[in-house]
Amino acid sequence: MAIPFGTESWAQALCAHLNGSSEYRNAAAKWGKGFNGTLLLSFGADAKLPEPRHLLLRVAEGRCDGATFVDGVDHPEAGFGLEAPFSLWKDILEGRQLAVTAMLAGHMKVRGDRFKLLQHVAAQRALLHCVTSLDTAFPE
Amino acid sequence: MDPLYAPLQEKLTGAVFTADQFGRDLLTNFGHIHHWMPRFVVEPRTAEDVVEVVRFAREHGLPVSTRGAGHSQSQLAISQGGILLAMQSLSQILHVDREAETVDVQGGVVWRDLVHFLKRFSLVPRVLTNNLGVTIGGTLSIAGIGVASFKYGSQGDNVVEMDVVTGAGDLVTCSPEENTDLFWSTIAGLGQVSIIVRARLQLRPMKAMTRTYYLLYDDIRRFLDDAKGAMDAGVWDHLESWASPSVQGTKPVEGRRQVFARWFYPFHLTVEFEPGSPPDDRALLAPLKPYEHLYTDDLPTVDFVERLVPIFELWKRAGTWEHVHPWMETVLPWETAATYIEQVLVDLSPAVQVGGHVLLWPAKGNTSRSKLFMRPEGEDLVGFGILPAIPPQYWAQMKPMLAGASDLSILMGGKRYLSGWIEFDLPTWKAHFGDRWDWMKACKRRFDPDHLLNPGFVPDEVESPAAAERR
Repeated sequence: MAIPFGTESWAQALCAHLNGSSEYRNAAAKWGKGFNGTLLLSFGADAKLPEPRHLLLRVAEGRCDGATFVDGVDHPEAGFGLEAPFSLWKDILEGRQLAVTAMLAGHMKVRGDRFKLLQHVAAQRALLHCVTSLDTAFPE
Repeated sequence: MDPLYAPLQEKLTGAVFTADQFGRDLLTNFGHIHHWMPRFVVEPRTAEDVVEVVRFAREHGLPVSTRGAGHSQSQLAISQGGILLAMQSLSQILHVDREAETVDVQGGVVWRDLVHFLKRFSLVPRVLTNNLGVTIGGTLSIAGIGVASFKYGSQGDNVVEMDVVTGAGDLVTCSPEENTDLFWSTIAGLGQVSIIVRARLQLRPMKAMTRTYYLLYDDIRRFLDDAKGAMDAGVWDHLESWASPSVQGTKPVEGRRQVFARWFYPFHLTVEFEPGSPPDDRALLAPLKPYEHLYTDDLPTVDFVERLVPIFELWKRAGTWEHVHPWMETVLPWETAATYIEQVLVDLSPAVQVGGHVLLWPAKGNTSRSKLFMRPEGEDLVGFGILPAIPPQYWAQMKPMLAGASDLSILMGGKRYLSGWIEFDLPTWKAHFGDRWDWMKACKRRFDPDHLLNPGFVPDEVESPAAAERR
């Protein structure tokens, strides 16, 4: 059954999904090793998402150690932040847009060491696939 | 009959063909991505024919595109409703100056023909592309890089002088010293300002034999260390490398199981020598630290420059020459190259080897003076190319992977090499050329005032009235 996007149960389901994914475990084995890999994914408000949502993902070395929604695009725990309007996230998750293309065009904002993020782009690709493959009820 | 056929043919010594007369192969290029129908195909016999074609096109508001061997993969070497100049009819090798070590050639000469012509003089062009079946005018319009580029830059950097026909219909001689804006906006200028009808190329003496050491690396960083050392050593004549997959099984990539590979890095280092004076193998190889030294091969130099022909023949026999070729080539800063290559190869299907390959080439940024062959800052650079042959039905599926590799290279400081598959929007074009963009566009307005030449690839910021009317 689809879990509503933006809820705590969705965040926890995503964390469990990451931990169950051999694709993510392998692709992200070096992410967060020796640096703070905790990600803050910010889904900006737009026509389909009336209020912004900010997902803090405590990910390191191929594991997820917790996920929760927090307030604002800055969080002391976050090592990196990715911020885009919700509709752009949907385009990325549904394969109509590439995250690197969104970054290149400046439509997706990056907080933290952008080069470090790009050094592990395969890990982020696997993470996004896990988000895509989680049975989610997105706002329409 | 097209009403413009007779008036056009009347002005030319070469032949004019209409849609019912020319071959379907002229509707696309090696990329097989874009299929355009020209109104006329013209095979010019002289430079004056090219002048007449451009003047006729200006008079009648027709775009003019140039085609050499048609090896481009984007919207070059094809024409949408305009005149396609099939330049291979200008195929004369005009004059060799043995003292100055130069040769004058027409723009449609194929590099292979020139190489075989020059061997009697023991001379060779300083830089040769891997595929010699392309024209001199074609590669000079892109840049032209090869396994000696780390020493001599691009083919465009080794042009002494050219005769070009501008978009205004003027036949002009230009060089790094004379009409310099025209010269440097033509070299690597994507055919935007002029048509190359004659080029004087700098040559170099060629020794009779080559010895190539086939080394294999299992680590990209160790390979790059040795590649840098080899470029700086001053003893190697040609450096060539690839990424080569060893298939390991299948793994999930974005949820779909696909074959994955451990990638290795073959590195071929070549020296030229005269018979009786073979190179000192031990001294040459002492600084290098490969995983394995696999093979050492001696070849006549004229055969060395044709070394990839058997591979191309294999691709042709397998039918993949007719597949879609969205080649993604990029030049990376040294500092980000290893990381970029690892990130791209980790999920790249080894099926890319079917009718294609993954190229690597160490390069020196300071060997090029070209204004429009864009490369990253820095002396040491790394070229990387995914060169697939994709069955047309799989092109849509493969496209995001190649687009992602292209965008990632740009994010990591790379500059795309523009002979391949390019789908830039206007901001990306501007970012690619950086502070050269305004100069390039000023040259376009100056030398091709009606924006006739090779439209459809590099975008116009502001359309000329003639271009707007055509559209």
